[in-house]
Amino acid sequence: MVTTRRRLRDRVPFGPWGPLGVAVDPVTWKAVPYFIVAPVVGTACFVGLGFALPLSMVLVLVWVGLPMLAVLILIWRGVAVVERRFLRWTLGVDIPDPYKTRPEGGLYAHLRWLFADLATWKDLGYLLLLCPLGLLEFVVVFGLWSLGLELLGLPLPMVLNGRDMTFWFIEVSTVPSAVVVMLFGVVALFASLYALRGAALAHAWVARALLGTDDRRFLLARNEDLRASRARGVNAAEAERRRIERDLHDGAQQRLLSVALDLGRAQAKFDDDPEQARILVESAAAGAKAAIGELRDLARGIYPAILTDRGLDAALSSLAARAPVRVEVTVEIADRPPAAVESIAYFVVAEALTNMAKYSRATEAQVRVRRAPDRVVVEVGDNGVGGAAVVPGGGLDGLADRAATIDGTLTVDSPPGGPTLIRAELPCVW
Amino acid sequence: MVTGMRVVIAEDSVLLREGLSRLLADGGIETVAAVGDGPSLVEAVRVHNPDLAVVDVRMPPSHTDEGLRAALEIRSARPGFPILVLSQYVEERYATDLLGAGAQAVGYLLKERVAEVAEFLDAVRRVARGGAVIDPDVVVQLLGRRRHSHDRLTARETEVMGLMAEGRSNSAIAARLVVSEGAVEKHISSIFLKLALDPAPDDHRRVLAVLAHLGHRQ
Repeated sequence: MVTTRRRLRDRVPFGPWGPLGVAVDPVTWKAVPYFIVAPVVGTACFVGLGFALPLSMVLVLVWVGLPMLAVLILIWRGVAVVERRFLRWTLGVDIPDPYKTRPEGGLYAHLRWLFADLATWKDLGYLLLLCPLGLLEFVVVFGLWSLGLELLGLPLPMVLNGRDMTFWFIEVSTVPSAVVVMLFGVVALFASLYALRGAALAHAWVARALLGTDDRRFLLARNEDLRASRARGVNAAEAERRRIERDLHDGAQQRLLSVALDLGRAQAKFDDDPEQARILVESAAAGAKAAIGELRDLARGIYPAILTDRGLDAALSSLAARAPVRVEVTVEIADRPPAAVESIAYFVVAEALTNMAKYSRATEAQVRVRRAPDRVVVEVGDNGVGGAAVVPGGGLDGLADRAATIDGTLTVDSPPGGPTLIRAELPCVW
Repeated sequence: MVTGMRVVIAEDSVLLREGLSRLLADGGIETVAAVGDGPSLVEAVRVHNPDLAVVDVRMPPSHTDEGLRAALEIRSARPGFPILVLSQYVEERYATDLLGAGAQAVGYLLKERVAEVAEFLDAVRRVARGGAVIDPDVVVQLLGRRRHSHDRLTARETEVMGLMAEGRSNSAIAARLVVSEGAVEKHISSIFLKLALDPAPDDHRRVLAVLAHLGHRQ
């Protein structure tokens, strides 16, 4: 956004090539359609809103106005959305839609979403302003342009027919005067180009103020989000390390200790009680094998080697194979996403399947990983009894924290009675 | 072999609990109760009145230093009750906490020492008799730290000190360091002199020497 702004300003006044540069710069000509369309749209909005807005406001008294007003808001927000796209295409200003995200709840929440969003009313202001502003810009830009064309074309009849021409009070009868007039015409044409560029800059400024978000507030909110997600990420990592330490301590370490203990006892018994010593050595061997198994499971839980080697498809298939019920895995991703995204996607599926096995009484599950333009979408569904929820400190909560570190989201849709759908959206560019 | 010795084991891993009680049984020591958390340990000691408690530091419910806190609770109710603490990690803070409540009849060993069956059983008996047993690794850590601030002891004296902290006799120390007993005695009196410990019954002074080292830290 910032870079676009700077580029536009840099290019408007004189540019690196002076007036000629402005004339050949495609940015100049791309802005032309905007100034033709703007007064039309502006006038239409002015007339339409000028009629419909007071009408629905009056009708609010008899309730009919409220739905009317809601529909009207939706319409003008729609127009504003199209206007932003058009502005990006013609004037090269990138203004993201500033609206709050649509709420889940019922009618009231939706009305609040429409009416309480400052962006709604800023849109209205912009659309009402578009009429006078568009007309003014049209007059300035195309007035200068037509003046230039007219002056340039003035001597033509003289050349063609030998007739003198009068433009207002300027009489063109001689070749030198014709040349002077044509020069003025050229100057006026270039002036119109500058007017066009100036109008584009000014209009972009107005549009950004009214159609865009409040940058400062937006950045503050974003800053807050990032701070929170960083804290969540750090917490998730800490919790993970504690879990690993705990697993090591309770699992493999104890097993190996008991192996050492068995061997120690066996050593002491070799001479007196070889039979007992043999039993102890057997028990130690079994314990060592169990410890190896536990270490292997733990290592896989920390980071599955297959994920590094072969990517999501192979890793998820291996997860599915170890699940207690049939799990259908579909991975619709051709290229491998970044490692962080792959790993989070994997653990989302792992945790979801673990939860499913523990609580859901499901008989089958589906895992689907697909690519949207700027994100990887992971969905895990089962036909179990539902009722899964993100509880603070739980496995799903940890995953949500982990997803938040890359601006991802985790949603759990699991009504009592099922079915359950866990969905992670992990933004990434690759 | 001390016969008729009765102990309570507090250890949350069932596997190790079993192993420990069999190991003690091999040595003729009876396990009267085996529990898995701090509060049950305090209760078991009260009910069974054993000769010693073998305690794992980390236990439920807190999974931190539950066992150590239970041990301190028992010691504050019954000063001098023999407790041998087993820990997965060398933590000098655990050791000093434990020794701070009196250096008689305490032991602090790394868990893996249980594999040295004879030495472990020996340590259990020494603690039950009122001795102090500190794990060599803990001693190394403590002495290693002290060496910077306080290097009046020579390297050999530090070594002797470490072995003393493990509760070894002069002859055992001499055998370990492959020197004569006379040489060990010379080192020990030099340590007592340097730490300014008054002549007193030998055993007592030995514990004091170790404690002087630990205590100076605080």
